[in-house]
Amino acid sequence: MSTPLVVAATVVAVALAALGGLSTALHRRIGSAHLAGAGLLELLLLVQGVLATAAVAGGHRPAELTTFIAYLGSVVLLPVAGLLWARTEPTRWAGTVLGVAALAVAVMLWRLLDLWEVTGG
Amino acid sequence: MAETAQGPGRVLVAVYAVFALAAGARAGVQLATQFDEAPLAYLLSALAAVVYVLATVGLARGGRGGRRTALVACGVELAGVLVVGTLSLLDREAFPDSTVWSGYGSGYGFIPLVLPVLGLLWLRHLSESAAG
Repeated sequence: MSTPLVVAATVVAVALAALGGLSTALHRRIGSAHLAGAGLLELLLLVQGVLATAAVAGGHRPAELTTFIAYLGSVVLLPVAGLLWARTEPTRWAGTVLGVAALAVAVMLWRLLDLWEVTGG
Repeated sequence: MAETAQGPGRVLVAVYAVFALAAGARAGVQLATQFDEAPLAYLLSALAAVVYVLATVGLARGGRGGRRTALVACGVELAGVLVVGTLSLLDREAFPDSTVWSGYGSGYGFIPLVLPVLGLLWLRHLSESAAG
């Protein structure tokens, strides 16, 4: 796990959540900006996922490895799931749906970083 | 007729899905690796996870069956967060490792306390608009 990457992904996630909230407030559906934001977030998460997987393969062992892997897999899937669920919503609430997924990503990333830094056993 | 997974309901489903995922992953790991340490707390975590999954599925599917499932799940969830929240404050010994519902969900921004209330309000709103 790279802390700068977590910070960058958090910034993108929070911005995406704000964008989603804004489109709900303005009675708009989600558009290409949301799509781009979710894409960028997913890209950062994939890079993070590859780096973390490589480090685990190279011998880094978080104390709660199982939980870490479960969370890492979940966090990578979240923006995709959020986007799919939001795209099928024809009303202004689509943005909030995407925002929920983005905020969940932000929270889970910091939890992942905590898990990553506690090694031992 | 308004359905459970449309408009604001879709947001509710999204939040429930996140909780189902988080609680499920956590409970699975706890039960598999450290069940002996705190059986009560971990069984409660697993119960909470099941309830979140049921609420998510019930709300997402909608219809009579879906709404009934969601209603029961939200009811159990509200009772659970109130009972476990109270017990966890009264008897910390029994809850050495926190569950989703400990301290009324304080470890999760009190969302576990707010969520069933929103779910029940949403279901009531739908049944009223269907009746009216």
